[in-house]
Amino acid sequence: MPGVDIQQIIFDALELTNHAREDHRQIVISESTLLFGNDGVLDSMELVGLLISIEEALLDEGIEVTLSDERAMSQSKSPFRSVTTLTNYIQDSINEPAS
Amino acid sequence: MGARRILVTGASRGLGRAITEHLLAKGDVVYGCSRGQSDLSHENYHHFSVDIGSDESIKTFFFELRRATRSLDALINNAGIASMNAFALTPPATYQQVFNINVQGTYLCSQKALGMLRKSDHGRIINFTTVAVPLQLEGESIYAASKSAVETLTKVIAKEYGNFGITCNAIGPSPIDTSLIKGVPASKIQELVQRQAIKKMATPGDVINVIDFYLQPGSDFITGQVLYLGGVS
Ligand SMILES: NC(=O)c1ccc[n+]([C@@H]2O[C@H](COP(=O)([O-])OP(=O)(O)OC[C@H]3O[C@@H](n4cnc5c(N)ncnc54)[C@H](OP(=O)(O)O)[C@@H]3O)[C@@H](O)[C@H]2O)c1
Repeated sequence: MPGVDIQQIIFDALELTNHAREDHRQIVISESTLLFGNDGVLDSMELVGLLISIEEALLDEGIEVTLSDERAMSQSKSPFRSVTTLTNYIQDSINEPAS
Repeated sequence: MGARRILVTGASRGLGRAITEHLLAKGDVVYGCSRGQSDLSHENYHHFSVDIGSDESIKTFFFELRRATRSLDALINNAGIASMNAFALTPPATYQQVFNINVQGTYLCSQKALGMLRKSDHGRIINFTTVAVPLQLEGESIYAASKSAVETLTKVIAKEYGNFGITCNAIGPSPIDTSLIKGVPASKIQELVQRQAIKKMATPGDVINVIDFYLQPGSDFITGQVLYLGGVS
């Protein structure tokens, strides 16, 4: 989808996560931030919150995708590992919707 | 505080209609749905035709709803159907229909509404159960079982959505004169009412009282609760 900066949408969603966190637990946001899994910064409910924020931001752009379906869960390498893997996964989901 | 934005499923008749009219009178904006049209016309009422028993229909509905509003303050999962039958005679189709509307409908609407409810300072989900659950009524096995599932969903959603500042509670009405119980013999209803602490029929106003309580900002700390009318426990 031209004109939509997916990485920026993820960064904005992480900013929202930071709003809900105490000062000493702020996430350092970058392309290589590890999100979920080993050494990931998010707990499972924060991951849910992040995905919902991203889905909402995409809806604002008129794009409807579901990020937390079986497809995501069944990938051998989790798409939620880092900002980079998530960016790629969202791009793929937009290009080829599941249903 | 601006007008609250509230989604009421099953808003065309019965309790959903009474709740909708009450909220509109209070100045709220109501997004209502039912399978057919609604004859309710009000500047703050927006009707959608949706089959809450169908996942596809719910998906389309939320896509349209998202165009009408970016945020919701409350979701009232009122749409529901009952079924009276001896357990031994209940066909699978009845089971499917009751569970699709009562359980799957509540589950999917609560899931799809999360993004919009999160934007509210006092996000609320209110589900509908029945006194048939604690009374374990004969002849209502599938209906009561579906509402037991709704009660469990209510309690677990309360825990998970608590992280997002959204409460989730349920109300369990005792019998109220709507089309839902039209098919139930009067003697059966009377029998049921006699098992209540307060032995009379409830009214839509009794439901609205509980809805108002769950909705008010002061109820931020009330979640995962099931409240039955008529002193049934
Ligand atoms: N009345 C009672 O005594 C009583 C007691 C305990 C619990 N409850 C609960 O209270 C809730 C409301 O009941 P009620 O008495 O108001 O029932 P009702 O008078 O039969 O009204 C049901 C409403 O839900 C809608 N609806 C039904 N199936 C639907 C579907 N598949 N998709 C979308 N909308 C649908 C109906 O509109 P359409 O038919 O046009 O779709 C109608 O607006 C239910 O959850 C019920 O289990 C009622």
